[in-house]
Amino acid sequence: MDFTLSPEQLLIKDSVARFASGEHAGRDHWKTFGELGWLAIGAAEDLGGFGGPIETLLLMEQFGRGLVVAPYVSQVVFAGTILKAAERLDVLERLAEGTQRVAVAYEEQHARYEPAAVATSAVRDGDGYVITGTKVRVLDPTTANTLIVSAGAGDDVALFLVPADAPNVHRTPFSAEDGHDVADVRFDGVRVDGSARLDAPGGGLALLERGLDHAVAALCAEGLGLMSLMLEATVDYAKQRQQFGVPIGSFQALQHRMAEMFSELELARSMAYFAAMTLENETDARARAHGISAAKVQVARSGRFVGQGAIQIHGGIGMSEEYKVGHYFKRMTMVERLLGDTTYHLNRFIATAAAAEREPLHA
Amino acid sequence: MDLAFSSEDLAFRDEVRAFIQTRMPEDIRRKVQAGDHLDKDDYYRWHRILFERGWSAPNWPKEYGGPGWNAVQRHIFYEEHAFGWAPRMLPFGLSMVAPVIMEFGNDEQRARYLPKILSGEEFWCQGYSEPGAGSDLASLQTRAEKNAAGDTYVINGTKTWITMAQWADWIFVLARTDPNAKKQEGISFILVDMRTPGVTVRPIQTIDGGHEINEVHFENVEVPVTNRVGQESAGWTYAKFLLEHERTGTAGIAGCRGALQQLRDLIAEASIDDPRLEERIALVEIELEALAFTELRTLAAESAGKRPGPESSILKIKGTEIQQALSELSLDALGPYAESHLAPRYFNYRKTSIYAGSNEIQKNIIAKRILKL
Repeated sequence: MDFTLSPEQLLIKDSVARFASGEHAGRDHWKTFGELGWLAIGAAEDLGGFGGPIETLLLMEQFGRGLVVAPYVSQVVFAGTILKAAERLDVLERLAEGTQRVAVAYEEQHARYEPAAVATSAVRDGDGYVITGTKVRVLDPTTANTLIVSAGAGDDVALFLVPADAPNVHRTPFSAEDGHDVADVRFDGVRVDGSARLDAPGGGLALLERGLDHAVAALCAEGLGLMSLMLEATVDYAKQRQQFGVPIGSFQALQHRMAEMFSELELARSMAYFAAMTLENETDARARAHGISAAKVQVARSGRFVGQGAIQIHGGIGMSEEYKVGHYFKRMTMVERLLGDTTYHLNRFIATAAAAEREPLHA
Repeated sequence: MDLAFSSEDLAFRDEVRAFIQTRMPEDIRRKVQAGDHLDKDDYYRWHRILFERGWSAPNWPKEYGGPGWNAVQRHIFYEEHAFGWAPRMLPFGLSMVAPVIMEFGNDEQRARYLPKILSGEEFWCQGYSEPGAGSDLASLQTRAEKNAAGDTYVINGTKTWITMAQWADWIFVLARTDPNAKKQEGISFILVDMRTPGVTVRPIQTIDGGHEINEVHFENVEVPVTNRVGQESAGWTYAKFLLEHERTGTAGIAGCRGALQQLRDLIAEASIDDPRLEERIALVEIELEALAFTELRTLAAESAGKRPGPESSILKIKGTEIQQALSELSLDALGPYAESHLAPRYFNYRKTSIYAGSNEIQKNIIAKRILKL
């Protein structure tokens, strides 16, 4: 175990930081990401892939700091992890090159984030399946040409690769508060071949959960970046803003609040690292879920505390659309909820406790 | 960055675990598990067992008889130590005065004091706070005046809230050697033998019914000038150095792991099935995990040659909040039956956010020294 960055890791961090601190809003940068190798993080080495959860953490922290709006968590981390685990290296290779883009459609209205609660069905039809059902809040479907769809096949949760433009796929996009691309997607009897099925029967949910855990870890890193930028902006502002003839940062009431924000940020940083460590040291899926859900709960709670404090200490300017902090706060509020909110992950943390009980999580 | 445990790390964990399991005296284990007060001999016996194995000073470098562990090894050791219901390692000698003597003492002092801290032969206590100097520690009034010959300090004053002074052989004292200097500048760091004539210990009963803290009076206590550590009137620098070490220790993460397990056992024994309690415990457990990893990062920074800095204030604040939360949850879990032995601990643990620099002082430190507000 070593907390210092290797030369390669430093290079990734610096190149992502350069991109994230530059002008990047409002455009699709997939080609750039591909050229810089960022789409190949975590992919198998013979596909040109490199790194893993730590490299993803370094990238996502900088994306958070720069408020980069890109479908990275959904299309690279989430979809890529599933494809790798399912050994669909053909698709993964195109994903890493940037020529195929894959979004994951798993959430349903009634399910409250629970991936096992699938009402969408896949009914056997000759050598293929017919998929029927509605997925909600699918992340980044507009730029994807392929969807990974979860559906009940008999007693299993199965995963299918579905072309985004297949007949009977209907999208209803809506604009999310944080500017990300989100849609509900209805599958109205969509026929796919048997080869579209990603999982070996009985293993679909495990694939999906693995993808989710990697994606949640990446979101934790993004949250860390968002928080660190919000705290820095707040401290800077408190040093400049004068009231009663002195900087407001000299008031103890505000100092203590910012000190608490700092502590929360550091706990969140630890848990973002902890999430990456959990993935690096994975022994079984239950312990992995336990660790990742712990991280998500901490990052969500810390993020809310830091974000609300940032707005409050900025005062009126924090409420205004033209100032950056409000936008970070909105994205942080979405990160809190994406792929499972605090209630969901707290329940999951409790439900997966048995495996980890009496055992320090760390060793 | 590489966050995977190496096979050496895992082998080390197994070695520590096996050692603690086989060597921990059963009566001590039971006391720790039950949350009972330990007496001096309990601490001493366990310390000796660790000493014989070469593990009595996990945070010390090899040159002074420590095991020279890296951050990850220390982290693993502390976790296993708690996991095996070992008594907490008393910090006053090991992690308070010893680092100061190593860093600022002279060779004679290192040779005189460190081996007996390592072996457990001498117990230490901390003479910092005074009746009139709590959070504003630098306003302390205890005076150390040189005699005419210039070879002896004569100490007069009162130190208070001194944990385990009744057991201690030695006390390290902050005393004013230059009454005319600015308040931080006239203070010296002096080691005093508790058996010196003029030293008296008065017990202070606390709201939990226990006796662990004391007032210590100094009346014309004569101490050789050679007992001063470092420069005269430069003691404030050493005092702050010590406090930063102290804060890292006060997170008490290993102890929290034990307390959490006690809470779980207690819930299991009483067959309590309450999802809301479950949820409150889970939230504390997650924060504890976050803090444990924060401590690991701090230890790693120390191993890389960085002194513990103001970041250790986070460990103090959050660690004590978690300790208090766990004592509160234990009380809540047992409801009307809680009063027996859990209430005293809850009352006792209110001290944690007060000692070692109150949590409000820690927030001032973060604001001033990290955020530069």
